[in-house]
Amino acid sequence: MRRSSFTSEFLLHYIPAAFSIASTTLLLNVLRQALDTPLVALLYLLPVGLSASLWGLGAGVIAAMAAFLAFNYFFIKPHFTLTVHSPGDLVVLVVFLTVAVVISQLVGRARSGQATAKAREFEATQLYELSASLTGYLDTQTIVRIVAEQIRGFLHTEKIEFFLHNSEPLSLKLPIGASSPERQADLILPVQAGKTVLGEIRLWRATPLISASEKRLLKIFADQAAFALERAHLAEAESRAKVLEESDRMKTALLSSVSHELRTPLATIKAAATSLRSGEVGWDSKAREDLLGAVEDEADHLNLLVGNLLNMSRIEANQLKPERQWNLLSEIVASVLSRPHSSEGHKVEVDIPEDLPLLPMDFVQMEQVFTNLINNSFKYAPAGTTVRLSARVSQDSTVLVQVANQGPPVPAQDLERIFEKFHRITAADRVTGTGLGLSICKGIIAAHDGRIWAENLPAGFAINFTLPLSIDGKLAPQPPLEAEA
Amino acid sequence: MSTSPHILVIDDEPQILRALKTILVEKEFKVTTAARGEQGLTLAAADPPDIVILDLGLPGMDGFEVCARLREWTQCPIIVLSVREGERDKVAALDKGADDYLTKPFGIEELLARVRVALRHAGRAKSSKATKITSGQIVVDLAWHIVTRNGKEVKLTATEFKLLAYLATNAGRVLTHQAILTHVWDPADADRVEYLRVYMRQLRKKLEANPEQPEFILTEPGVGYRFLAD
Repeated sequence: MRRSSFTSEFLLHYIPAAFSIASTTLLLNVLRQALDTPLVALLYLLPVGLSASLWGLGAGVIAAMAAFLAFNYFFIKPHFTLTVHSPGDLVVLVVFLTVAVVISQLVGRARSGQATAKAREFEATQLYELSASLTGYLDTQTIVRIVAEQIRGFLHTEKIEFFLHNSEPLSLKLPIGASSPERQADLILPVQAGKTVLGEIRLWRATPLISASEKRLLKIFADQAAFALERAHLAEAESRAKVLEESDRMKTALLSSVSHELRTPLATIKAAATSLRSGEVGWDSKAREDLLGAVEDEADHLNLLVGNLLNMSRIEANQLKPERQWNLLSEIVASVLSRPHSSEGHKVEVDIPEDLPLLPMDFVQMEQVFTNLINNSFKYAPAGTTVRLSARVSQDSTVLVQVANQGPPVPAQDLERIFEKFHRITAADRVTGTGLGLSICKGIIAAHDGRIWAENLPAGFAINFTLPLSIDGKLAPQPPLEAEA
Repeated sequence: MSTSPHILVIDDEPQILRALKTILVEKEFKVTTAARGEQGLTLAAADPPDIVILDLGLPGMDGFEVCARLREWTQCPIIVLSVREGERDKVAALDKGADDYLTKPFGIEELLARVRVALRHAGRAKSSKATKITSGQIVVDLAWHIVTRNGKEVKLTATEFKLLAYLATNAGRVLTHQAILTHVWDPADADRVEYLRVYMRQLRKKLEANPEQPEFILTEPGVGYRFLAD
């Protein structure tokens, strides 16, 4: 490496320096009749200074030495020897050599100082650009991409690879899609924060070789990258902590709601069972019947609660995958209504047109939606009123379903919030339930590509939802018809 | 069946076993219990039961496996117990040879009704097949392909009759969508639930007084249909 840098220095700087002296010598030789010795010495200083300023300190010194020898050989008597006879000429020679060397030193130094300053400025610009483009980015992928692109921009690499081997391994290769050169990387830079190695950057660039100053800059880049990655990591940890805190809060809310809701039926069951056991209740008494009925009802209620909780956790975990098949809405509604409900003399009116097409629905999940909506109506609407269930094909190739009751209106600001978990407009101790019913409906309808909303009617309250007529662009198939025998 | 029927209950919950045993013995059944699938298979081989009540969620060998193993050598009715959310499990168990299912938690009346249906069906399978099946005012004459309601003939299409006949011959049992489609239509149509839904609506319209509240053909949500006979 050193050898080759010497060769290039030699070829690019020293040869032209020597050549400038040679051509000056030729020119002076032609004009020698018109020139006296001091003037020749003065003219020789010209290429020396030029060489030093153009090609640097080394070239200047080489030019100075060459000029000294050429001057002595060609222009100091006796000609064509390096010997000097006249003491005056010796003085001229010594002064010439000193001046030439000093000039070349001064010019060369100034030049190299300027080059250093330029290199520094370049580094500073690059660094500024890097940190400016890294500001504000907190995701690892972007940081890695920016650093790699920046390095590629100033280094003009054939290929650059950035590997991160922390919790989520990541690798980025630029240019994208290019195959790796078959040789080993020309430079491997570790990316480390403190003592932790976060990853490494591999670079391929054969010519020109990566210089010491470029390496220094790369090192700073790697440090900047590590710094940005650390910052991203910390920000991520912080936001994760926030999410955890939020989910913890939700869990606490869930637990307090659930334990209250679960304990209420359990208390009834326990009380009924113990009083039945105590022998205080007569075998044929009505009290005995009532207590047994309460145990059964409360057990069913508990079962419903557990089902709701399970469904909610599925919705939360995105695990609620409806098995959508062609089903009849009327059959689902009939199936729901055939089950016992805790209504207080409510009437249910179903208005579903007979020619309503088959809809892509998960039978069991849609049953759950209707069960929750009907139970809600029974819960909030006054006893003896009517719950009206209707469905219509609407203009936008969906079916609009409405479950309306004659219950009290919901304040406008709560119309959306009632679909949130644990949201309840009425005080919790007045109405039983988990506060999950409507959010489960919302989750199921959303999984069916539908929309659900609440509205106040002139005389009552309704939940509406839409269901698409088609799935994957296909409408309900028509089974072949046949004649009666 | 002069002696009391033998019921084998396989469930890993000791409370369920205790409760079922108490009630079934009270109802004069002979009851054997097993807490694990392997144990249940051994007991069944040693003393063949008339009916098996099998929990699907067993530790070790699960209920599906037990069901399949039992079906290798016995046709005795199997009633599986599963949880509410397990529609897919129920269908899988029914397709593996189970005859019926019950969703936990269930009422004991429901269990006893299922046990009676299963025993009757097993008994009927052994004796000569009945050609007339009655459910309320509905009479299905399998030999003459005639259906009457309140003594009046109900006109059915060929497929509607085939569908009703299949349900009626398996009265009391739950039939999965797939089983019905395979049997009434074609194995290639086993996934065409829409056929079933549409024909079932037509059939109910012709048979039921109020198709929205069916009395004869019940929907088993997510699983299939069940025909109720007298």
